[in-house]
Amino acid sequence: MGEVIVVTSGKGGVGKTTTTANVGTGLAMLDKKVVLIDTDIGLRNLDVVMGLENRIVYNLVDVIEGSCRIRNALIKDKRYPNLYLLPSAQTRDKNAVTPEQMQKLADELRDEFDYILMDCPAGIEQGFKNAIAGADRALVVTTPEVSAVRDADRIIGLLEANEMKQTHLIVNRIRMDMVKRGDMMSSDDVCEILAVDLIGIVPDDENIVISTNQGEPLVGSDSLAGKAYMNICKRVIGEEVPFLNLEEKQGIFGKLFGKRKKN
Amino acid sequence: MNNSVIIKGNKYGIIVVLSPEVPFEELKLLIAEKFKESSKFFENAKMAISFEGRKLTNEEQREILDVISENADMHIVCIMDNDTEMQEKFHKTLDQKLMDLSNNTGQFYKGILRSGASLEFETSVIIIGDVNHGARVVSKGNIIVLGALKGTAFAGATGNTNAFVVALDMSPTQIRIADTIARAPDKPVKDDLKETKIAFLEDGNIYIETLNKNILQDINL
Repeated sequence: MGEVIVVTSGKGGVGKTTTTANVGTGLAMLDKKVVLIDTDIGLRNLDVVMGLENRIVYNLVDVIEGSCRIRNALIKDKRYPNLYLLPSAQTRDKNAVTPEQMQKLADELRDEFDYILMDCPAGIEQGFKNAIAGADRALVVTTPEVSAVRDADRIIGLLEANEMKQTHLIVNRIRMDMVKRGDMMSSDDVCEILAVDLIGIVPDDENIVISTNQGEPLVGSDSLAGKAYMNICKRVIGEEVPFLNLEEKQGIFGKLFGKRKKN
Repeated sequence: MNNSVIIKGNKYGIIVVLSPEVPFEELKLLIAEKFKESSKFFENAKMAISFEGRKLTNEEQREILDVISENADMHIVCIMDNDTEMQEKFHKTLDQKLMDLSNNTGQFYKGILRSGASLEFETSVIIIGDVNHGARVVSKGNIIVLGALKGTAFAGATGNTNAFVVALDMSPTQIRIADTIARAPDKPVKDDLKETKIAFLEDGNIYIETLNKNILQDINL
């Protein structure tokens, strides 16, 4: 029986889609059967980040409206045969779908997949309600900025009100040099404010921008962010993994000597 | 509900199904009533009509037509016979005409189609502007983009395999012609030279080639 996980944040631009793509791909690398669902109807992105935009024929709204079967709309990933994407519609809006329909869809996919990841749109309106409807578990993404943390707090409140069974926090785009100088909140600070369990810390990494533009998630790669995402995946499936030491510099010396301290 | 008169429609016109049991005078009243109810729907429409279910003399047909034009604001262009052979001929001519119409006539659209825009045309279309990623153009005929085609183009949407797509900068996400779908390569091809290109269907595959004289000569409208 598969687990439905929603990736949400409240604020836009903190990395929901990037996280969905990387965690989904990472779980597929760990031999799980995974489907990613883009619930951001009207502003779809996940297909671009996954590099699957050119394969879209049918979408989520087609499935919900019954104009095609789920099987026809699922797009198989380029690299991992056990990873699928259900893209969103670009020419419709959030009201084309109801939470009940999303829940039904998620339940239909449960039999076949180990993990169903919902990429939630920003905001707390219809799109958010759709995305969380069928979910067993939420990953709340935030950056260490006051505005993002405020929105995350609001989202966690709403998730609790909707009786979400499990809520975990991902602190994204953290910069250790700024934290050290006292110019940025540390992950501990964020955790203290939000009072939910941390499941991952992802450093600000320019490789993310590169991989997003190329449409190939970097999870599992040698970059710090790639490792951080892989660790999140392992924690999602229940393994105990220590947090990365993000203070190690991937500077010129690290690259030259190729030996970095492992934590 | 009285089913002595039923109006059915298809893409060739309307069919009026008449009960053979009702006396003719009563039938006329029923027809009048039926068309009055749907006069809004038929407003100003021009169409072909055919009768089913009852043998009518020419005289009776004329009377019914009078009744219809009195009660609904529509123009009956012709009456179709129920003869199968004739009907087939009629359908074929009409289909051919419609196909020609979508191919040989066109319209202009000026403006950039941005993500989420979806335009559908009954005829061929010339877009003056770009079709961005996430936008979609659908035409029953051909599509010509005087700009960059980055989104999806669907030509020959009703099954015309001769339809083609032309763009000054051809880098579409997807091109569909009739029932065939082609998608962009996963690794973007670095092409510094932006040439006008044409996409067409041949042997079930969509080909994209630089537009030149030879290819222009091969175009069948």
